[in-house]
Amino acid sequence: MTDTAAPDAFDQARALFDRAIQRNFKGLDYFASPAPVLGASPKDLLIQRGTMNLYHYRPMTDDVYRVPLLLVMATTNRGYIFDMVPGQSLVEYLLKAGYDVFMLDWTPPRADEKTLTLADYVLDFIPTAIARVQAETGEQDFSLVGYCFGGVLSLLWAALHPDAPMKNLVCFTTPVDFTQMEMFQSWADQRFFDVDRLVDTFGNCPADYLYSAFDMLKPGAKIAGNIRLLDNLWNDEFVKSFRMFDRWATDTLPLAGEYFRETTKKLMWANALHNETMEVAGRPVDLGAITAPFLHVTAEHDHIVPSAASAPLIDMIGSDDKEQVTMKGGHVSLVAGGNAIKRLWPKLVDWLGDRST
Amino acid sequence: MAIPTPDPGAFLRDMLGQWESMANQVGGQMLKSGEFAKAIQGANAATMNAQAATHQVMDRALAAANMPSRSEVEDLSARLRGIEESVARIEAMLMAQAGIAPPARPRPSRNRKPPAKG
Repeated sequence: MTDTAAPDAFDQARALFDRAIQRNFKGLDYFASPAPVLGASPKDLLIQRGTMNLYHYRPMTDDVYRVPLLLVMATTNRGYIFDMVPGQSLVEYLLKAGYDVFMLDWTPPRADEKTLTLADYVLDFIPTAIARVQAETGEQDFSLVGYCFGGVLSLLWAALHPDAPMKNLVCFTTPVDFTQMEMFQSWADQRFFDVDRLVDTFGNCPADYLYSAFDMLKPGAKIAGNIRLLDNLWNDEFVKSFRMFDRWATDTLPLAGEYFRETTKKLMWANALHNETMEVAGRPVDLGAITAPFLHVTAEHDHIVPSAASAPLIDMIGSDDKEQVTMKGGHVSLVAGGNAIKRLWPKLVDWLGDRST
Repeated sequence: MAIPTPDPGAFLRDMLGQWESMANQVGGQMLKSGEFAKAIQGANAATMNAQAATHQVMDRALAAANMPSRSEVEDLSARLRGIEESVARIEAMLMAQAGIAPPARPRPSRNRKPPAKG
């Protein structure tokens, strides 16, 4: 027995030694090499207006679905989460499946954009983007796909424009009951959090402030993540993936001041969307007015938008053709990375395919 | 049959996973408490006051040195960007009037059907 066990132990020791050597070499490489280039799928910038950017990705098939697809990114983060690197890009996946893909993405609002309100996003940026998609494609119909707060903006727009030719609405992990976002509720506790003072002092809500709030949702994650990186420095795929997601997570955007003030008061404090008291520029929002086919995908282990915060949405939508799916994964791994490639992306392509002709 | 040798790395990785879960749980509970929210927002308020005071002092110092402040440079930047956007629009209009259209990109047909389900 000892004789047969010895090579196994020897092999393991040798593998451990090899990894230790590689960790040292690749550890140096980690700091010396540039980060992977993200969001590089060929695209044209159709609109650049302050914080708003509308991109059109170059189709990868000669024949596309009739209905174009507009992705609406959350205002706190960069849209390249949908377009990491070739082979790990939702945009590329959709293009190869024959979709004509546009993305409404955001850059940090300028100092003079501190006056932007929720109405600017819902009643100006989104309709402007949609009009340009229609002009570019010659099609009136379109599908809207919103991620996280991009989903909230899409819902608000859709509810206020029930007669628009929206063919499909898809939301990824979109909150409606903000009282269930316990950590954010604590962070933004009305008794202690003076949003007026913050906005009046800084103009725009600083990205650092938002990043800290996201970071503190999982207090142990950063330390554990860095230890795992050290342990896996020998593994090129792990390191590449870590760098991509770490860069995206730390690339938090500031928020326009008035927009931040309004969303804090109406959604975090008054929970207006769930209580059906939401209004945008004085226009009441009724999610029941949304009658287009609707798909809501949530993540089982979402620490940012827990299921309890997003689950009530499906019942509030007025569509007859509506579906709620909960998939394995977290808030980010739902839409990007190996988990998304296996689960969300095929589901999205399949669901939209039948409804995009 | 080879006897699997215990991997000390696997043990440490498991420990790390357990520590992370515990830290997230305990830390999360702490962060949810009113006391923590009060403390953290108190610290934020102090930071905001300090930053506001620093801005005021800097603005006065820059004005005394006859230099533009950050906000003035940002305003100039915003105006410049607005002018650039106007120039781009005028350029596009002039090109259109002169019949110089940008090279048309090939447009795909829009007749795709979903694959048949088996």
